[in-house]
Amino acid sequence: MAQSSSPRVPVEERLFSLVLALLATETGLSKNEILSTVQGYRQRYSASGDNANLERQFERDKDDIRELGVPLETLDAPGQAGNNQNLRYRIPRGAYELPSDISFSAEETALLGLAAMVWREGSLSAESRRAIVKLRSLGGGTGEPVLGYVPSLRVRDAAFEPARSALEKHQIVRFSYLKPGEADARVRTVAPLALVQHQGRWHLHALEPDTGVTKTFLLRRIVSQVTTTGKTFVPDETDQTSAALAELEQVWNSHTAEVEVTPDSDAASRLRKRRGTRTTASGTLLLHYSDANIVADELTGYGPEVLVLSPPELRLAVSARLRLVAEEHATPTEGDDHG
Amino acid sequence: MAERRGPLQAQDKLAFLLSLVPFLMDHERIGVGEVAAHFSVPEEEVRDAVRLIAVSGVPGETGQYQHGDLFDLAWDDFEDNDQIVLTHMVAIDDSPRFSGREAAALIAGLQYLSALPEHADRAAIASLMAKLSRGASAPPSQVAVEDSETDATLAIIRESVAAGVQLEFDYLDSRGEHELRRVDPLRIESLDADWYLRAWCHLREAVRTFRLDRISNPQTTSEPISYHADEVKLSEKLFEGSADDRMVTIDVAPAALPLLADYIPEEASSAERDGRLRTTIRVSHYHGLKRLVAGLPGLVTVVEPSEARRMVADWAAAGAARYDA
Repeated sequence: MAQSSSPRVPVEERLFSLVLALLATETGLSKNEILSTVQGYRQRYSASGDNANLERQFERDKDDIRELGVPLETLDAPGQAGNNQNLRYRIPRGAYELPSDISFSAEETALLGLAAMVWREGSLSAESRRAIVKLRSLGGGTGEPVLGYVPSLRVRDAAFEPARSALEKHQIVRFSYLKPGEADARVRTVAPLALVQHQGRWHLHALEPDTGVTKTFLLRRIVSQVTTTGKTFVPDETDQTSAALAELEQVWNSHTAEVEVTPDSDAASRLRKRRGTRTTASGTLLLHYSDANIVADELTGYGPEVLVLSPPELRLAVSARLRLVAEEHATPTEGDDHG
Repeated sequence: MAERRGPLQAQDKLAFLLSLVPFLMDHERIGVGEVAAHFSVPEEEVRDAVRLIAVSGVPGETGQYQHGDLFDLAWDDFEDNDQIVLTHMVAIDDSPRFSGREAAALIAGLQYLSALPEHADRAAIASLMAKLSRGASAPPSQVAVEDSETDATLAIIRESVAAGVQLEFDYLDSRGEHELRRVDPLRIESLDADWYLRAWCHLREAVRTFRLDRISNPQTTSEPISYHADEVKLSEKLFEGSADDRMVTIDVAPAALPLLADYIPEEASSAERDGRLRTTIRVSHYHGLKRLVAGLPGLVTVVEPSEARRMVADWAAAGAARYDA
């Protein structure tokens, strides 16, 4: 109750004071020193009593600060390794400060401003907003772009956020995955390695700990919630995204469809502009794709403007889809109403 | 729930404080207005932050936050003239590094934008990404977007804007009609994989939105533009509802709902029946609708009006008939 009488220190003031105190110390501060002296904690610290609440507050604050990229480290007190009460905390200046040889030109700053704008809705919006604040800290103006851009990338897969969080925390996750052609979804348990967008779709590149095999999952086909298993894994620090993208690219390259398009149609115009499309001597188009089911949906949208020539399974898939759509929209006939 | 909101705001404020201090150190004297403009924040937010910085510091050897352990500010200049002059600094010397996630967000954003003509110099972009990685306190998280080739149409649009001349191209609308358009380009927008040009259309004498992949043979002309981007107010929304729009009732599989989000008016209600949601979408004409619905086979069914339903059926049946031959 004594706490309520002391003036309330705003959260940002407590966090700011903690960062300043830990930046200023070479040898580190013990938890007790922090709680008893740092602004925002000291007002609530009891020299004789129980500080369990305050200690929990400190744990949460450490997480919040680290999330901003502040490298808060813990040191064992000399000669007392493993003694939790004597851990010391500090923020090493070299790991905290942006290296002094890093600067950004006006053009680079403008490009980064656009890159941040890409995420303005939903996922990664807080991160990109804060990155821009840090970028502005360096001074540097932004060149006015010749042409105004308003780019935006939205992630519509519900699995993205939980997968990203697990990727960040190196947690093993579980989800149900529906493979095309299979009637039932199967539960997968995987260590997330990378999230990559290829041809407009997000994929999770992950390792199956049971088999040691890496696999790529289309987020759209994750049909359950992504849940954590309570287990973590030791991540490989090397870039996983290039390997994941290269693998997807290879799959994409290995599938080619030949289609006939009605001249001057929407299909002709748009499919010709699709990445990697080639026109044959006879005027048909050769298209690459990653996934027969997805490209079949896309081609079905063009209705009679597209005729799939090959491969036969894609031809079959598109014609079956067209029939399905036609049947589902066959107007309820008088027969239905009048027997 | 309320708990979560608190720390989020506080984290943003902390990032601002840690970024503002080195910026102020680099500017011996700077007006509140200039700082607010530089960081794109309200002036009052700058004043609040400066007031907090000025009373903050380190516990110091005494653990008592003595005078020399605190930041200090020329208070008169601040209160009377709205000028910021830090007179004493503690603890902070330089700007903070990016977090691994922040660096990854910017890198993936740059990757997504790789079709822009501004990205044509791939070596410069690669070095920019490397700088972001090096300027992060942890390896950037493993999130990436596939690179795309520089878009030739975007490059020509940019040329016409730089030269201040009208752009001419052949446009195929979703009704399947070709028309030669002359426009004053105003802005390029994107939504995920789709890119759009918003421009003053001299044929329609109004602002129009064009899909880049429906533009053919774009060419700069020698005709100067009539409308500059600064003079035309564009709405925030890429697709504006118009009085001529048609409302269509559909049944949709819940999984496909996010794919239709752009078409569902805010006021639309939805009701579940037999595992499907019945809701309303807004379309400018049924030609676009038939493509949209056929592109989501088995996931969306048009309920009414019957004319819309028939157009989808005819479209799909005509497609299916090509396989009977």
